[in-house]
Amino acid sequence: MSERKTGVYLCSGCGIGEAVNVATLEGVAKSEFRMEPKTHACLCGDEGVGMIKADIDAGVNQVIVAACSARVMTDRFAFEPHLTIRADLREKVIWSHPAGDEDTQMLAEDYLRMALSQAPKVTAPEPWVDGDYSQRICVLGGGVTGLTAAKEAAALGHDVLLIERSDRLGGHALGASKRLPHRPPYDSPEPNDVDALVAAVKAESRIVVKMSVTVTKTAGMPGKFAVTLSDGSVEDVGAIVIATGWRPYDATKLGHLGYGASPDVVTNVEFEAMLKAGRPQRKSSGQPVKSVAFVQCAGSRDPNHLPYCSNVCCATSLKQALELIQADPLTNCYVIYEEMRTPGVAEELYRAAQKAGVIFIKGKVKGVGADLTVTVADELVQADIPLQGLDMVVLATGMVPNSTNPDAAAEEYGADLLKGDVDPEAPIKVAGYCGSEPGAHERREQAIPPGGPLLNLQYRQGPHLPVLHDGFADSHYICFPYETRRTGIYTCGPVRRPMDWAEAAEDAQGAVLKAVQAVRSAAAGAALHPRVGDLSFPKINYNQCTKCRRCTVECPFGAIDENAEQYPQVNATRCRRCGTCMGACPVRTISFDNYSVEMLTTQIKSVKIPDEFSGKPRILVIACENDAVPSLDMAGIKRNSWSAHVRVLPVRCLGSVSLLCVSDALSVGYDGVMLMGCKPGDDYQCHFVKGSAMAAERLSKIGETLKSMMLEPERVVQVEASIADADRLPKVIDEFVDRIMGIGFNPFKGF
Amino acid sequence: MTHASPTPTKKYDLNFARWVYENVDGGDRMALCMQCGTCSGSCPVGQQMDYGPRKLFMMIRAGLKEEVLKSNTLWNCVSCYNCVVRCPRKVPVTYILHDLATVAVREGYAEAKESDNSRFAKAFWWSAAKYGRTDERLVTALYYFSFGMGEGYKRGMANMPIAMGMVKTKRMHLGMPHKCKNTGELKKILAKAAEIEARSHAGGAGNANPAGGTAGHDK
Ligand code: SF4
Ligand code: SF4
Ligand code: SF4
Ligand code: SF4
Repeated sequence: MSERKTGVYLCSGCGIGEAVNVATLEGVAKSEFRMEPKTHACLCGDEGVGMIKADIDAGVNQVIVAACSARVMTDRFAFEPHLTIRADLREKVIWSHPAGDEDTQMLAEDYLRMALSQAPKVTAPEPWVDGDYSQRICVLGGGVTGLTAAKEAAALGHDVLLIERSDRLGGHALGASKRLPHRPPYDSPEPNDVDALVAAVKAESRIVVKMSVTVTKTAGMPGKFAVTLSDGSVEDVGAIVIATGWRPYDATKLGHLGYGASPDVVTNVEFEAMLKAGRPQRKSSGQPVKSVAFVQCAGSRDPNHLPYCSNVCCATSLKQALELIQADPLTNCYVIYEEMRTPGVAEELYRAAQKAGVIFIKGKVKGVGADLTVTVADELVQADIPLQGLDMVVLATGMVPNSTNPDAAAEEYGADLLKGDVDPEAPIKVAGYCGSEPGAHERREQAIPPGGPLLNLQYRQGPHLPVLHDGFADSHYICFPYETRRTGIYTCGPVRRPMDWAEAAEDAQGAVLKAVQAVRSAAAGAALHPRVGDLSFPKINYNQCTKCRRCTVECPFGAIDENAEQYPQVNATRCRRCGTCMGACPVRTISFDNYSVEMLTTQIKSVKIPDEFSGKPRILVIACENDAVPSLDMAGIKRNSWSAHVRVLPVRCLGSVSLLCVSDALSVGYDGVMLMGCKPGDDYQCHFVKGSAMAAERLSKIGETLKSMMLEPERVVQVEASIADADRLPKVIDEFVDRIMGIGFNPFKGF
Repeated sequence: MTHASPTPTKKYDLNFARWVYENVDGGDRMALCMQCGTCSGSCPVGQQMDYGPRKLFMMIRAGLKEEVLKSNTLWNCVSCYNCVVRCPRKVPVTYILHDLATVAVREGYAEAKESDNSRFAKAFWWSAAKYGRTDERLVTALYYFSFGMGEGYKRGMANMPIAMGMVKTKRMHLGMPHKCKNTGELKKILAKAAEIEARSHAGGAGNANPAGGTAGHDK
């Protein structure tokens, strides 16, 4: 890079000029940093931006903008390929602190110092691009989800490799008599139309279908995956969509609900096949079925079987009952339920079934006799009631995700890693937790479905796709569905949560868009969610690396392997740029072009720490830029106020916070340090899945260090922040400041 | 009348429930009852009922015909219509209860025939049908003496001071009972209603009873 020439621009608009003394700020830049700042009354306007552009034409190649939050006006202050550093004088200073106040002025000066001091430590990132990238998308699973995914990917112009383990396309839908209603008025079973979907996929020239094969090995990274199949072929693909669906829960474990007691106790999957074949008949006598009891939650929502609701079995029983009644209105249909769960428009189906005369009995099944007498502890009548004269009992069994391949043997290697990875929520108790303290949780027993790894990933972190404690492939249900903890590999359909046909098809579309983004970004060296478009990537200085492998183990996305000399090796397109490896490395040897431990500690140290006689403490809040920083910005927008003794340091993820940042802060005289980030755990909100959990784990070990420094462990805390915390966080911060003032000033001040 | 309800032979035998759906005023909508309990929770006299309407409806489905037709729920409803207004499934609870009461009387459930409320309903109806108005003295007398001569005398004497007070304050009059203007027309109207009702019950299906016209109309 040519010689660094930094331009500094202050904005006095939006009330900044009235609330703080901008001339003094200019003085800071001049006297402390020997830089010549320029001030404009509306920097984001054409004139202000024009001024910056003119300077760039004259040779400025790094821009520092001290104005509003880094989260706004990003398009105005983007001067690519040059780097823009932002100091927030608006949301986190003048909007959240009193105007014309001495402490507000000091705050603004410190934020300017933090921006100016980091300038020499960062450069505009250069992307990692290397050779050829595949644009082809591999879809695993040829059921409704996979077929839809393949069709949609082809429609977006991508070649598709569709892999199906059986010898037929269509999956479970092939065995379905009818499907759940998916269009208005949503009150009647709809025809099974999977054949049309299969035909559409077969007719698409961009889709190559391989049946009766499984994946034996997957190596590489997004844009460069090499997938080895059981037929020996090796396929190059850019991204992978997992649509392996579900398997029914093993009904032989449901003896307490009568399975096995009589041939006329069947599962909903078996009953569906009977409906498809025509009028269901008793297996025992061949007589037509005229009186049926459906037993809901057969295995589901039962801690001894499947701890979760399988989501579709209620609607499926309604559909099956309606099919029976449509064939013969005098069929007696009883649905024994604890709670009917008919999400969304399935409520219409429920109403239709009530209208059709289906009897709903709320209660628990106490026993099923060989003569099919079902005894129900009836909650509505408040008595134990025997149901007699039934022809058939249908157990509404739930869904087990195919997050493993049931046909393959469990892989020995990596099993521990998988188990260790299942629940990022270690039973961590952080010293002096502030705000709403999370309960100490036991590590939950996870239910990994039996079978071998789906993709057999050749990753250092093991061959498995991480799963949640209930066995579903990890993906954030709400905030970032489809994402797994393996970049470029997306899940959709019932492998990530129980869902029905129409939902699965919609899910497939979402995952395909993700896969398309993955192959296109990989070729450009750009990051994916949540740092979409980021060109930086972690660089490891092998001269200092001690081969401790912390980075390899802690990377939430399994991006780091080891090379022949046992050095960690980053697979750049697998990397999401969270910096967890950087925070993990004990010798600070991992850094990004524009982000490093040194860059963070320089900012920390740039803040002026007043001596204790001033009565002004300094508290460092290290805040995650995904939720905590935006939440503080919103607090500013709402004019919520918090202590002006606090300095907020934005970071990519709490995972990227090295403990050295914390100890450096305490050794230069900060009185307390607060880490503010997303919720860790199985129900995480951490955008990098494990970042905040890793931070909490590291912090749990800092107590000893603090004691050896003769400091109180309560000086360092971690708090959970969500995007909706604009009203809560200022209070949490102020409470912490009060608590620190109770402990007293840091004795290291002034050393 | 002719079309008697079937008696279930086992629990959750649906023959009685289906009969109610088809023959009781508002019964078709009862199929849609989702057991939310809003009716029972809204009922001002729910505490005085053997079972609230919600539970009663579930018992109908469960085939507990006897318990249903013997219950005082049918008689204690005061027709406030709170439940009907609030039911999220638009079940006309009040009509159903009143029509079930007539079923109970028609099918000879002793509890129904002997209950206080059915005695009162009969007395009330006698006066209303005869004069087109209710006469407090005749209605109470008929009601009291339905318990027997001794009991009727006892109850009547116990309430004498109240009656005298009412006469004194002109809330009750002495002399001939007041009538509506044209009792002949009234008789014709009632005869027509009885005819319509007989037709709908004889037909078995449907529920063409004129809304609300069913309370206590035996004889
Ligand atoms: S969908 Fe219904 S039957 Fe299935 S688990 Fe959920 S509540 Fe139980
Ligand atoms: S820890 Fe984060 S930054 Fe480091 S390699 Fe993994 S994904 Fe990339
Ligand atoms: S309010 Fe309506 S739906 Fe609810 S229990 Fe009563 S009758 Fe049933
Ligand atoms: S109408 Fe009858 S059942 Fe309904 S709330 Fe009133 S008293 Fe109760």
